[in-house]
Amino acid sequence: MTLRNYVIRRLILIIPTFFLISAIVFTLIHLAPGDPVMVMVSRHGLPQATQDRIREELGLNEPVPVQYAIWVGKLLRGDFGFSYVTGRNVLEWISNKVPATVELILIAEIISIIIAVTLGVIAAVKHYSLTDAVCSVTALVGYSAPSFWIAVIAILVFSMMLKWLPPSGMYTVGVIWGSPLDAFVDHLKHLIMPTSILVLGWTAYLFRMVRSSMLDVLNQDFIMTARAKGVKERVVIYKHALRNALLPVITYLGFSIGFLLGGAAVIENIFDWPGLGEFIVMVASNRDYPALMGITMIISLMVLIANLCADVTYAFVDPRIRYD
Amino acid sequence: MVKRSRKESEGETEEVYEPSKATRLYIVWKKLKRSELAVFGLGIIIFAILMAALAPILAPYSPYYMDRSLRPPSMEHPFGTEAGGRDVLSMVMYGAQISLYVGFGAVALELAIGLTIGMIAGYFGGIIDEVLMRVTDVIITLPELPLLIVTVTFFETRSVHIMVLVMGIVGWPFICRVTRSEFLTLRESTYVEAARSIGASNRRIIFSHILPNLFSTLIVLATMDIPWYIFYEATLTFLGFGSSEYSWGVLLEKGYLLFIGPERPMYWWIVTFPGIALFLTSLGFNLFGDGLRDALDVTSSGR
Repeated sequence: MTLRNYVIRRLILIIPTFFLISAIVFTLIHLAPGDPVMVMVSRHGLPQATQDRIREELGLNEPVPVQYAIWVGKLLRGDFGFSYVTGRNVLEWISNKVPATVELILIAEIISIIIAVTLGVIAAVKHYSLTDAVCSVTALVGYSAPSFWIAVIAILVFSMMLKWLPPSGMYTVGVIWGSPLDAFVDHLKHLIMPTSILVLGWTAYLFRMVRSSMLDVLNQDFIMTARAKGVKERVVIYKHALRNALLPVITYLGFSIGFLLGGAAVIENIFDWPGLGEFIVMVASNRDYPALMGITMIISLMVLIANLCADVTYAFVDPRIRYD
Repeated sequence: MVKRSRKESEGETEEVYEPSKATRLYIVWKKLKRSELAVFGLGIIIFAILMAALAPILAPYSPYYMDRSLRPPSMEHPFGTEAGGRDVLSMVMYGAQISLYVGFGAVALELAIGLTIGMIAGYFGGIIDEVLMRVTDVIITLPELPLLIVTVTFFETRSVHIMVLVMGIVGWPFICRVTRSEFLTLRESTYVEAARSIGASNRRIIFSHILPNLFSTLIVLATMDIPWYIFYEATLTFLGFGSSEYSWGVLLEKGYLLFIGPERPMYWWIVTFPGIALFLTSLGFNLFGDGLRDALDVTSSGR
């Protein structure tokens, strides 16, 4: 199978997955006690006639499968409906939140990869050395520490005691009227804590993957052959071993978007970072169902696409997978 | 066949060394003991369980008893008091009950759901397998924490039990996938074929021939999952989706909320101690899980 056919097949597979996810989300919402109109009533106190009219407008009198079909039809046309609480267009609202989260996640991802791969390779090559032990124990500690607790402690230490870094937000109020350089530095200061905490958790995880994958490869016969041929150790490690060791790690990069989005849900709330994570907690607390369904679909799609990209990259670098 | 019958006729019986259950446990323990970190992890777990179990006896106060609020650590209140005047040490000790209940409860539930679905998919195969695995594939890719947040909002009432239920509902796919793949392999193995040929029922094959082989893998996965569920409970509570009165997440939330204010005085003790408890418990399970994986020689990786 050529790479192009593989990509096309994977793209086609996204369609049933999308319907499956939308069905799961829809079912969950419909299993929820109380109908959406009651949520609005408890919020705004509407007369019976208005309630009936809204039920009619939202199509809540139709049978459930019809409601599902209508909802999916609207989704496909980019109509995610309107928030029950603020009345805003859900898709527009969510798209305002995407850049902040993408910035956070991308920076965290890049830094994590650099640190994890470097340290993972060193730890595996110097297996059982002091460096290996220190890195592994640190990773285990980073892996075991709850990120939201680290965030809270970081605010306590760096914002409240030392007053080095701002505790919340993306910018200091009013900074955009100053010079662009000041605004940029100010933004960087706001970025340091949230990204470092995401990096800590994800690096610890990724490091363990890289290290064990590298160890597996270094024990294989072709490495011994290369060494026996007299290939330089550096070439053996970087050209023969690392290339193969990174293959399974690629799969984890797709998975990492989900991991980082989960982390962002907490970190954004603590640092008042106006992204998707803050959004999902807010709309969930308000039981704002259209917004909640919208954000669930968007996050699912993001994860699906990330996984697709990871799989395609994998197929690109490792042709064996295409003949599966 | 011929050879064997000849042996039997000569009255020779082949002696096969088959260690008893107790011996096998002892072998695992001996391997586990070699790793100091794993033993240390086990020590932390036992300590946490004791703290939870003995909280009513050992805790200096009831988790509801209110004294003067926001006292820093002192002889009277070693970990200080929170905004409502409750003793932080006592709340941390009682909080261990909730965390461990959620950890073990959620893992038990995910094992129950994952095993059942994985068994059905792996043993019977066909169209059932196809449908179940597609659903599993989808749920497994979705990020767990946002999924938990979404699912927990569908329940009108908020309680720890609901949280455990939600974690079970969200967490089963990984167990399911492992169970299924092991069943697929073992279903075709010669000894299962042998069992089937002498007329063993499906139930007997599943429960006495295949399931025991899954034991070590599942135990390792379960141990590694417990700290995640403890985290998730604390995180969800911290984000305001909980209802318990004294879990570690509650203390962290209350302590954090004190940060938001014009003066921001330093009430560090309220967030520090429950966080350390959370961290140590999770470290304990992770160390023990790592050791157990090596001791039981399980190759499949955690999530």
